[in-house]
Amino acid sequence: MTKVRSDEQKYAFLRDEESLEQNRYGNKINLAENGDELIADALTINNQPSESENPNRYKQHGFYLNADNCIGCHACEAACSEKNDNPAHIAFRSVGFVEGGTYPDYQRINISMACNHCDDPVCLKGCPTRAYTKFAEYGAVLQDPDICFGCGYCTWVCPYNAPQLDPVKGQVSKCNMCVDRLEVGLKPSCVSACLGNALDFGVIENVPENREVAQTEIPGFPTAEITQPNIRFQQTKGAHKEMTRTDTMPVKYHRNAESNSFEPVVDEKAGRDKYWNLKSLLTSHESAHVIFTLFTQGTVGAFLMLFLGPFFAPEIFSLLENADLLLKLTVVIFVTSTIGLYKLNMHLGKPHRFYRGFNNLRLSPVSREIAGVSLFYTGLLGFLVTLLIPFDFIKAFSYAFGGLAALSGLAGLYYMYKLYRIPARPFWDHLQTGTAFFGTMLSFGALIIAAVCVVFVDSSVLDTAIMTQSLAAIMLIGLVIEALGHWKHADDMQKLGNEGAASYYRQVTQYGYSYLLRNGLLALNIGLALYFCVFSIASVFDWVLAILLMTSMLVMSVFGRSLFFVLVIPTTMPGAFFWKNEGFVDHARETGLADMPQVGVVHERHHAFKVDELLKTIKENSLSDMVDHVKWIFGYKKGH
Amino acid sequence: MLFGRNKKNPIKIADKGIVKWNYSTCGYCSTGCAIEIGVNEDGIPVGARGVAGADVNRGKLCLKGIFEHEIFESEGRGKTPLLRDNIHDEFKEVEWDEALSTMASEIKRIQQTYGRDAFAIVSTGQILTEGFYTLGKLARGVIGTNNYDGNTTLCMASAVSGYKRSFGSDGPPGCYEDFENTDCLIAWGSNLPEQHPIIYWRFKEAQEKRKFPLIVVDPRVTMLAQNADIHLPITPGTDVVLMNALMHVILAEGLQDQDYIDANTNGFEALKAEVENYDPMTAAKICGIDEDTIRNVARLYAKADSGMNIWTMGINQSTHGSDGVVGINNLSLITGNIGKPGGTSLSITGQCNAMGTREWSSCSGLPGYRLLENEQDRQEIADFWGVDPAFFPKKRGMAQTDIFPAIEAGKIKGLWLVGTNPMTSMPNTARIRKTLEKLECCVVQDSYVDVETTPYAHIHLPAAIWAEKEGVFTNTERRVNITRKVKEPYHNSKADLHIFNALAQQFEQGRKMNFPDQPSEVFEEMKTLSKGRLVDISGMSHDLIEENRGVQWPYTEQQLKKDDKPPQGGKRLYTETATFRFPDGRAKLIPLPFADNNERPDEQFPFWLNSGRLVEHFHTRTRTGKIGNNNKYSPTPFMEMNPDAAADLNIQHQSYVRAVSRRGDAVVMVMLTQRVPRNMVFIPFHFFDCVNRLTLGLLDPYSRQPAFKQAAVRIEPINQEEAARLNKANRQF
Repeated sequence: MTKVRSDEQKYAFLRDEESLEQNRYGNKINLAENGDELIADALTINNQPSESENPNRYKQHGFYLNADNCIGCHACEAACSEKNDNPAHIAFRSVGFVEGGTYPDYQRINISMACNHCDDPVCLKGCPTRAYTKFAEYGAVLQDPDICFGCGYCTWVCPYNAPQLDPVKGQVSKCNMCVDRLEVGLKPSCVSACLGNALDFGVIENVPENREVAQTEIPGFPTAEITQPNIRFQQTKGAHKEMTRTDTMPVKYHRNAESNSFEPVVDEKAGRDKYWNLKSLLTSHESAHVIFTLFTQGTVGAFLMLFLGPFFAPEIFSLLENADLLLKLTVVIFVTSTIGLYKLNMHLGKPHRFYRGFNNLRLSPVSREIAGVSLFYTGLLGFLVTLLIPFDFIKAFSYAFGGLAALSGLAGLYYMYKLYRIPARPFWDHLQTGTAFFGTMLSFGALIIAAVCVVFVDSSVLDTAIMTQSLAAIMLIGLVIEALGHWKHADDMQKLGNEGAASYYRQVTQYGYSYLLRNGLLALNIGLALYFCVFSIASVFDWVLAILLMTSMLVMSVFGRSLFFVLVIPTTMPGAFFWKNEGFVDHARETGLADMPQVGVVHERHHAFKVDELLKTIKENSLSDMVDHVKWIFGYKKGH
Repeated sequence: MLFGRNKKNPIKIADKGIVKWNYSTCGYCSTGCAIEIGVNEDGIPVGARGVAGADVNRGKLCLKGIFEHEIFESEGRGKTPLLRDNIHDEFKEVEWDEALSTMASEIKRIQQTYGRDAFAIVSTGQILTEGFYTLGKLARGVIGTNNYDGNTTLCMASAVSGYKRSFGSDGPPGCYEDFENTDCLIAWGSNLPEQHPIIYWRFKEAQEKRKFPLIVVDPRVTMLAQNADIHLPITPGTDVVLMNALMHVILAEGLQDQDYIDANTNGFEALKAEVENYDPMTAAKICGIDEDTIRNVARLYAKADSGMNIWTMGINQSTHGSDGVVGINNLSLITGNIGKPGGTSLSITGQCNAMGTREWSSCSGLPGYRLLENEQDRQEIADFWGVDPAFFPKKRGMAQTDIFPAIEAGKIKGLWLVGTNPMTSMPNTARIRKTLEKLECCVVQDSYVDVETTPYAHIHLPAAIWAEKEGVFTNTERRVNITRKVKEPYHNSKADLHIFNALAQQFEQGRKMNFPDQPSEVFEEMKTLSKGRLVDISGMSHDLIEENRGVQWPYTEQQLKKDDKPPQGGKRLYTETATFRFPDGRAKLIPLPFADNNERPDEQFPFWLNSGRLVEHFHTRTRTGKIGNNNKYSPTPFMEMNPDAAADLNIQHQSYVRAVSRRGDAVVMVMLTQRVPRNMVFIPFHFFDCVNRLTLGLLDPYSRQPAFKQAAVRIEPINQEEAARLNKANRQF
């Protein structure tokens, strides 16, 4: 590993003689005192015990970027990729830029950004597999790709685009602070490689030699409030009032005259024309999430109605006491739920590592969502099995399983909602996510039950009217909740001014017609649901309306949920013209430029469920290992 | 470990298993960075790093150097010699003997049929100096064609010509250490951060230690221009006018160093008379820099204790390239800024061994800055090589840019291209394509078989790359540095030196002469020939060079004998009074009248077309286009265009357009930016079938260097799907 050369230059060495007690967020810079068990627990790098005489080993370190000096030469990015042996499409550090002014009074500010090894690492908290660790050594936030199952949630929550999801390997990797170099007293590779004397590194809050300030603001950098990042900037040269991005993100930055800081505003780059944009809307990588969330919300809703309905409103749901109908309904719910879970699991980079999704129950809403939905599924399956067993005593089990499914389903949906409340994704971080999700639970749940009843029950024999009318009422409530949420969301997003407003801008332009269709269908569905609250299905006309409602609900949901996923604009760093430009990535994939690996763009792909790897894991781990693992999930130390 | 986590995850950090670091000098640009190539247990190069103790780069590398270990096994390398009778036939793979004997018999046939000069050789700035020297010996002493030139005509010829006209010899007089001493730096058409990032770093280090003003002359707001204290956004092609105006102010205000002028120069009065015509008010209207700024800059520069001028292609690649260099030399001379710390006129060179070819390849003369026009020089070399002096021509033959028109005119029938790719690098691609199709025999000697010139070749000779060989490069500051062999050549490719030696054996004259096999033996010959010359390297040896991480010339055998160790850096030329290379030791001050012969924007073609380099690419991308971690920053060509101009034409950011000139068209993706003025577009020069389909390339009368950076284009819309298809089809790498 890294060795210090006899003729190593001074710039390559860490040199922090003094440091502060506390950082600007009020957190201690010293992360472990003498005698702390964090110190006793030795550091190993590549299975080798690492010992270091670095006196600042247990202090929080961070990068420092003097943007006045950055020339955008890519040396830092190259040094990083060389050191970490990264292929072209993966970069732990990237340089983007913002620009402003009119020729020749033109200014480009380059921003080199990697991981900020935050005080509050949202990646670590969010990761369901617990692939992340924040080390007391240097305060480094490190991620282990061998644990990761490639869900990419950390890439959603990080405001700086630090974790990199590799579509080829199906796993995330990220900046490791070059801890091996720190251990021998050298600065990280990127810093040592810097040719503009822009990038530096050291104990956080220390201002490097020859530099004046340590700011946490620079045009294009998201607010430090989200994660308390350990990055400091100098940008003292006057910037223009407006700084724009060269990538396709419809965001630019305006200087706030009072605070002198830059705030994101919408940049209407693509004009005001409306489009359908169906291809990118309906075939995005996130379509697995569209199916999973819709199906799960619908099935939880349907099951809640099926299971709880007869308890709370027996006069309405008495029909469900019909064993045959109950079985059919349960089968439909089970199959639908299975499809949703299958889509979710198979969209993982490493689907055979699904069991790791529970690892971070203590911190991650994703783990909790997965646990909730898995328990729901287990309860549902149990409930279904009990329906198939013709003995009375089984009834108790039926209630137990049903109760489990109902409770955990609700909990799962709650965490499903929570996991999208990501501060770095303003478009999602809104109550609307909840209204849409729970609204769908009601409307889709009711729709599933109503549809099954209408299809399977002979209404000349059994009276379905009261139930279908009640279900229509539930649907109406769900749809109205969703509609109110959308209304409020549209209003709030426009006012936000930041990436949320940019998402809204795309919603009404790039996806303008799809958005209008979604809204139109929502209104139509509300109307139809209202109709069926009053009228039962009696005539051919009613049947036509019922089929229309069914179709319209499906189309509306797919469009609505797809919009939810494709429109989100994260608070990531500005990109360059080709590199880290979403627009070029799409273009390269569409035109086939991405077939050439040296273009730095790869195609999205699906990853196989490697049964052999799963079996290997099962074989290699004893039952007690597994028990230990479960204990570990709940915070017990192995061997303690 | 924080947040109540109860187990440290293992830390895994990529370990490439490097067991040995091999010393080398970077094979891209002329900065001359010392680089170490790391090989693993299997001897495969897997890593690269800057040599910490080397004075040039002090441990740093740019992104190209950082990934240079990837070029050994990159796509498109030539595996074995290829041969065909006709360029429409398929190549067949042959052994070296057959390839070289065919080549030799073709050379003989063409020379016998059409005359000795009907076979031309165009070489490069990329191969090792020992290779250049041997190629020169072969070309001048065995084949005997006078149409032998290097592709340095496309980049450095104007600097060479300007140095010769002013100082009596080629050879940049300054060094990187001058940044640490200067009190004022003017960068003329030089974008260090993009072109020479390590030199930029040396400048930045110096400027951070001791602030001095930076003045940048460039029509584009490059990062250097943006960071300049004063940016002069000049009208393209009018640098000479600005120089004359600056001198006008200096002389009018008596700011010149008259003592220096009197002791070291000739021609002051004539210069003074000429610059009289360029008062700032008149000049401002031509060069686009207002008169106050001209006066301000002139005073700032002339009053500085030491003033440094650097330049690159912004000066060289124009119809007044040689004059521009002379103008810079004039400015330096009248202010006494030559040969003193921080006072210099330093051409920032292009290719890794552009200097080596200038010194030793004999392409514009004879080795060691000797001239064909000088009888004594011819005699010395003839004696040393064992050639009849009458075999040498008495005058330099054609430059690369004249060789191609001569092929076009049917005067030259055979062409040997060594490490150069004119289909991408020369102006007016359409003309070059037609020209190459006319050849009876075209030999392409290159490390890559996929260079865009190969389709016009009858013979392809696969050459070893840079560190598959051993030998030296000379950098911008005249530092000779060595590349050690890291691994054997790829497949059946051979070192250039080996190819030249083997070809020499195909000729009777070649068999009579001595063509040493070992690079170190060749170096000994060069040392002998350098004794007493400006380019004296007689004190050096391959080992001494490595030990010192490069040695600047001159370093003489006398110095070595005196145990006078080579300095780390800081070696300059012309430090003593009247030691210039003209017989009287005085430099020439040359008046520069200006006449504008450029193709300027007009109604039909309303935009200036400017071209230039990107930091992530080198030249025609045969190397960097295949290395993802370089190429990804600009995987396809683009064009910078001013958003205000684009708005008029309804052109969108990141859409394709067709740029059209009087020569042809090019499909590019538009990048809207205020970095360029409203009447200018900028296209990088690296891409095949791109900017050089548009360029005119009028030739400088002295250097024969083409004006790549001054032409006129218009912008036309193009169907976006078709453009995307074309763009993809044009990018095999």
